[in-house]
Amino acid sequence: MLTPMMGGGLQQTTNYRVVLPFYIFASISFLVAASLLLLHTDIIQSHYFNPHTLAITHVMALGWGTMIIFGASHQLLPVLVEGKLDSNLLAYLTFIFTAIGIPVLAIGFYLFHTGALLQTGAVLINIGVICYLANVFGSAFKSHTKSVHAWFMITASLWLFSTTFFGLLLVFNFTQFILPDNSVAYLSIHAHLGIIGWFLLMVIGVGSRLIPMFLISKYNNPKALWWIFGLINASLISFLIFKIADAPVASYYFSVLLALAAIALFGRHCYKAYKVRIRKNVDEQMKTSLLSVLQMLLPILALVTTLALLPADSHPNIALLYGFCIFFGWITAIIMGMTFKTLPFIVWNKVYHKKAHGGKTPVPKDLFSEKVYHAMLLVYLFGFIVFISGIITLNDIILKTGAAALLAAAILYVFNTGKTLLHQPKKL
Amino acid sequence: MSLNIITNDSEKCEIALDGLYDVYDPEVGLNVVDLGLIYQIDFDEAEKKLDATMTLTTQFCPMGESITSNVTESLASAYPDWQINVNLTFEPPWDYSKISPEGKAFLGR
Repeated sequence: MLTPMMGGGLQQTTNYRVVLPFYIFASISFLVAASLLLLHTDIIQSHYFNPHTLAITHVMALGWGTMIIFGASHQLLPVLVEGKLDSNLLAYLTFIFTAIGIPVLAIGFYLFHTGALLQTGAVLINIGVICYLANVFGSAFKSHTKSVHAWFMITASLWLFSTTFFGLLLVFNFTQFILPDNSVAYLSIHAHLGIIGWFLLMVIGVGSRLIPMFLISKYNNPKALWWIFGLINASLISFLIFKIADAPVASYYFSVLLALAAIALFGRHCYKAYKVRIRKNVDEQMKTSLLSVLQMLLPILALVTTLALLPADSHPNIALLYGFCIFFGWITAIIMGMTFKTLPFIVWNKVYHKKAHGGKTPVPKDLFSEKVYHAMLLVYLFGFIVFISGIITLNDIILKTGAAALLAAAILYVFNTGKTLLHQPKKL
Repeated sequence: MSLNIITNDSEKCEIALDGLYDVYDPEVGLNVVDLGLIYQIDFDEAEKKLDATMTLTTQFCPMGESITSNVTESLASAYPDWQINVNLTFEPPWDYSKISPEGKAFLGR
């Protein structure tokens, strides 16, 4: 028996004007970060608290990772909360404040101008994040149903605000000592609020819906997703408690174990979705996204090694390996894969929204060059592996080779993003 | 017809489907007919009214708006003087079994 719904249940799409600026900003950020990495490979030989490392990390974390998540999540928020985006104005404000704040903050770190420049950047970013948070809350709580995916998004946004607000305190603490200790002592808290609370929670929350959707797989397991949600939050909260209580280093293994269990469950979720997919052939973008799930394990491996070696402080570069595996590894791979799944859709919807009948129109994957994507992926994987070898061996030639390959991957990424954005309708 | 589309007028339905074979789900790259998204097409000759009932591969399909509007335009092209109503339903939900043999071959299954 058929039950008609007149227009009900139809997903309301977000206006492309809201979304595309985030993608443009993120692709430029990736190019900037890869260029800086090539220019300053010497940072691997020094302590992670140095101006160039801080600048590159923040360009990657905020300009690249966060901005692309902002763009994609404004588009996907209706899909995740089963409603519609609450406010286009808030989305524009999010972009304006963060797009100004991030370069100001990055320049502030690069020049290590600990006063007005860093403070202005941090304040602007926080205003942008508050606008984003308000939009996520408005959209989620106006929706009638709240799926597990919506809770991933709501909680991740709260952790993001915790990260940027704590970052703001750290920036002011450089000059005004508002915290009991110096800012360096709190870096791991700030970093993990962002890595676990924001990136891991958000990527898994969004990925657990998008990966089955793009594989055209009917697999869904909300119970397992609730477990993953609980494990990630427990991992972060336990880490914060151990850190504040100044617990022995060994206790951090408990938090690592919880995160590892969450990643393993997410890997299982993706594998099950893959197994029951309807389309046999899996495109390269989806393969890249699935690869990024495996890449989640590398930072964990680096972290365990760091925990084992840090007490002796004999290999400080291993801590940098941890950060590199996260930002240039897992986050970059998932963004590369998902950009060329989501961006072509957004542009296709803009160009061919009412033209996809009466003759075959291009499909979204026709909007970018698959050859360039393939080359980007190969160069990226080469650069990623070589740079890791450089970090371990502390060899500058190997580091430069890896960084040059990553820059080449960034150039190819920008090329394909530009090609997609500038796509003109074909005459039908 | 080999497709499981409910209709009260097979001849008119064939004409409607001719156009719908050109409406694609952009992600899958397969037309909405072979994908099994069209459930029912009924014709009211006296009122000049066409009622189509269709679904999407997922309720949260971000391309849903585009696909349904293209289905409506395709039907309007086939029956220009008719009133076209396209109803969206998720009961029964779409699944693999609704894909035509041609569609399954296209998907490598």
